[in-house]
Amino acid sequence: MNYPKNIADETPFQTAGPFLHIGCLPNTININGVFQNDLGEKPFINKDTNDFISISGSVFDGSGQALDDVMLETWQSDENGVYTPDNGFARFVPNSISKKYKLSTIKPGSVQNFDGSLQSPHISFSISSRGINMNLNTRMYFEGDNLFKDPLLSMIKKSNNDVSSLIASKIDDTSFIFNIFLQGDKETIFLDV
Amino acid sequence: MAVKSLIKRNYDKQPQLNYPDYKSSILRAPKKDKVFFPSSPSEVSGPIFNKNIIRKFDNDLTLNFSQNNASPIGHKIIVHGTIRDQFLKPIEGALIEIWQANAGGKYFHNKDQNIAAIDPNFAGCGRFITENNGSYEFITIQPGPYPYPNRGVEWRPMHIHFSIFGKSFGQRLITQMYFEGDPLIDFCPMVNSIPDKKAKKSLIGSLDRTQSNTKQLLAYKFDIILRGSNQTFFENRTEGL
Repeated sequence: MNYPKNIADETPFQTAGPFLHIGCLPNTININGVFQNDLGEKPFINKDTNDFISISGSVFDGSGQALDDVMLETWQSDENGVYTPDNGFARFVPNSISKKYKLSTIKPGSVQNFDGSLQSPHISFSISSRGINMNLNTRMYFEGDNLFKDPLLSMIKKSNNDVSSLIASKIDDTSFIFNIFLQGDKETIFLDV
Repeated sequence: MAVKSLIKRNYDKQPQLNYPDYKSSILRAPKKDKVFFPSSPSEVSGPIFNKNIIRKFDNDLTLNFSQNNASPIGHKIIVHGTIRDQFLKPIEGALIEIWQANAGGKYFHNKDQNIAAIDPNFAGCGRFITENNGSYEFITIQPGPYPYPNRGVEWRPMHIHFSIFGKSFGQRLITQMYFEGDPLIDFCPMVNSIPDKKAKKSLIGSLDRTQSNTKQLLAYKFDIILRGSNQTFFENRTEGL
């Protein structure tokens, strides 16, 4: 791969470590009064929560253990497939007892690509924790949607790779399960975004 | 039609995900290669945070958790610098969140096993949104080094964690700043997970003697580069083709 010349190098990543809550979600560990609200508590401020769907799951390490010291961040379009800079971002950690995360949000619409093609509805995920030297990016699609024409999924299928790790299982119309596997037989496809 | 794409990431200048000297990476580093694909609007867009979320002392960690105006223990420092993209264009409106241990090397976190004492006047978190020239500044306490379990007990060099949002989700950066002259840097497996020497060095904040003297606080300068993006126009095509 050729990289453009005469440009500066991107600053290298480092692990977010086990204490990322202090800087990213202080109110969840009872550091109260420094920041009024934790960032990304709600992905959409002015939407009717009756229209929300719920997505839940765990992040598993190579020994099959569900992690509770991991931070997930999501970025998505609105129901019409439009990205707006002040909505669509959420940040959360798994529950320390159940080791499951839960995201309540609206179902994104199809996003139009630069070439006019349509991407199936999806949510972008970024995963950070101790032991992850560079936060990991992936995408979640929805079981039950038409996924045949999605450019990314089609590209991965063309190289004979199974895309099932990118598709959340549908429980009913408003609830989905999306587990992330860092290693093992079911290792999630991570993206070089 | 305008096509925006993020500059391809150069992984030679980034840490290795699987770096067994850092034990925690063994069970958490994916084994398969990442899948590359051209940037879509999902990667070149991102959350942009309003300056009104930042309150007066959010970037002064010596004041933002102090009880009854008491000072935290340790010596105050300034950490400042600029955020620019790979074309060296300053990025205004980037959100920086930092977190760190106190002067004794203890985090304000119930999972921290280090026997050092909590400082009741220091939580160790701060945030700031960059000015129009891409600059930022924090006032904080010099964080202490601390022991942690890795290959037996090892020591982390003094450091501050940085989380940065630029203009797009694909520009997101999480990293750590180290301090010029700290002998522990060379032995740290997290630092050494970056194979490139120059890249490693770029994480070391340099002592800024001019500011240290004028402001009478030791100052460290840490400049950050986020990914750049290219915009290409195809004038002969109609929208949607």
